[in-house]
Amino acid sequence: MNIRIIKENLVRRTMFGLCLFVFSLVFLMAFGLYQKSKPILAIISLKDLLFSSIWHPTQGHFGLSSFIAGTFWVTAIAVIIAVPLSILTAIYVSEYASKRVRSFAKPIIDLLAGISPIIFGVWGIIAVVPLVRDYLMPFFTKRFPFFPFVSDNYTGFSALTGGIVLAVMTFPIIISVVEEVLRTVSFEIREASLSLGATKWQTIKYVVLKKARPGIIAAVILGVSRAFGETMAVLMVAGCALGVFPKSIFDAAYPLPALIANTYGEMMSIPLYDSAVLLAAFILLIITALFNMAGWGILLHIERKQACG
Amino acid sequence: MEIKTHISVKNLNIWYGQHQAINNISIDIPDKKITAIIGPSGCGKSTLLKSFNRLIELQDGAKVSGKVLVDGEDIYDPKVEVTHLRKKMGLLSQRPQVLPVSIYENVAYGPRIHGIKDKKKLDEIVQRYLIESNLWDEVRGRLNSSASKLSIGQQQRLCLARGLAVEPEVILGDEPTSALDPLSAECIEQRLLELKNKYTIVLVTHILRQAKRLADYIIFLYLGNLIEHGPAEEVLNNPKYLKTKNYLEGKFIEEPKINKELNLKRTAYPNNFVTAKLALGDLEFGHIVKIIVDNESSAIEIPKAIEHEGHKILEVRKLNQNDWEIVVQKHNGGYVI
Repeated sequence: MNIRIIKENLVRRTMFGLCLFVFSLVFLMAFGLYQKSKPILAIISLKDLLFSSIWHPTQGHFGLSSFIAGTFWVTAIAVIIAVPLSILTAIYVSEYASKRVRSFAKPIIDLLAGISPIIFGVWGIIAVVPLVRDYLMPFFTKRFPFFPFVSDNYTGFSALTGGIVLAVMTFPIIISVVEEVLRTVSFEIREASLSLGATKWQTIKYVVLKKARPGIIAAVILGVSRAFGETMAVLMVAGCALGVFPKSIFDAAYPLPALIANTYGEMMSIPLYDSAVLLAAFILLIITALFNMAGWGILLHIERKQACG
Repeated sequence: MEIKTHISVKNLNIWYGQHQAINNISIDIPDKKITAIIGPSGCGKSTLLKSFNRLIELQDGAKVSGKVLVDGEDIYDPKVEVTHLRKKMGLLSQRPQVLPVSIYENVAYGPRIHGIKDKKKLDEIVQRYLIESNLWDEVRGRLNSSASKLSIGQQQRLCLARGLAVEPEVILGDEPTSALDPLSAECIEQRLLELKNKYTIVLVTHILRQAKRLADYIIFLYLGNLIEHGPAEEVLNNPKYLKTKNYLEGKFIEEPKINKELNLKRTAYPNNFVTAKLALGDLEFGHIVKIIVDNESSAIEIPKAIEHEGHKILEVRKLNQNDWEIVVQKHNGGYVI
């Protein structure tokens, strides 16, 4: 009897300890990054760091704005492509596809989610870069010669390319989660809608998606968080040119993760260089965290609204 | 009593994969009456009900053969528009399934998907059917609040209003009171009794007292077979067949042990009756004989004649397109089973 209680306590405390350890990692990491980026913050004002686009480490210029903009470009393009595509695919797989198609499609989607980023990167160079260079860019710059399409970068290594590759990498995750979420919507409520004479699409649009909305938002958050942090594939296809502030989807983009991966550990003799790169990491962490919080905030709001009406 | 038929089921078979859930059922469901489908769990009550609005097709691996005629039109005809059919059939499910929107939107949902956009008209519809389902007084001040906040009994009435709002001809109830407290259940029953003047109502229920209170017509199913059907008083007070009787008395239903089987296919009445009579003569009292015939007139006449002889008919059932099975117990004054 006593042994049982001791065991119970032991198990509970061990698990609590482990849990605490995992939680504290987040804060430790944030704290570490902050500590390391302190030196540069002491010399150069945060405003200059965030809004200047001049990156000349040897001359002491550490403007991060073009990298931040690059991150946003690539992520935004990925989200714009991936979210509608993956939600519609998930709807098809869970609602319309026959059992056989579903049992066939699910493993393939999961496989896609598990492929190493480097393979996506190579695929991006071989397939997406020529597509952007030879078709998309000429088409858009000729037909729509205004804001997000004008560029003088004719290499095909661009924010759009990075975004497309990133979208392909994110959508298996979103599809997978959204599909699971849609399948948790009870059969009876679909029946209720169908028995009123609604078509399948009406039922999906007005009932299923409404019921599944919190889950879908969670799936999108998950996907976008991955897009923010994804490094390798983007680094390979987005251009990563220094000294360019991306003003167009066809400009080369140099997202924060790529900057960190490319430069950290090299040229450490340059003063403040490592501090600047770690500040970039810190900013990335904060952007991702803010985005996540905003996402969960929306989710909470919806859930509360559904509960209270 | 002249009964107008609304839904007519002809040789209906339904399979779930390999399992046959409905076995060759033919039946007419009367117009503007309450028909109760009764029977033990798993006997195919809900399956039969859901074959009327083709919701059954949505089940994985469900296969349907035979005909269901609604207003004389076969609903399984590929030309039939299923949304149109379902609009004719309001469904009340076991647990109320409110849509994740406001009370108002729940009722307006049906009319809206069928193309009514005029706000004034929708207001009118919402009010009319909430009144008809006796919910209006309770919700009039909070039409825009979430429907999931209502009590479960109110939710079921809301579902009723929602179903009525598309102006169906038939109300299908799949044990509509089983999740409700007694008061709410009574409220729903009351509504159904009022509504039967305007709608044909088909109810699946496993509550016999409810069937007694509500039903004009009873269908008794057992293991996917139609055992007995007829006007409620007849079936409930004076069941013809053993299985019905056992079920109504709350006894265990078991298949009668067949002592002898008689295949009387390809013989006509009264010749087959004479053969059956002779066979019964050889049997011990209480023993059971199963007779198979292959024409409907024999299936109607033989049981009558055998009953006249003083034996007990336990069951008459259609086996397939052509064949009927008549189960007879040689009478010795009481049942052996």
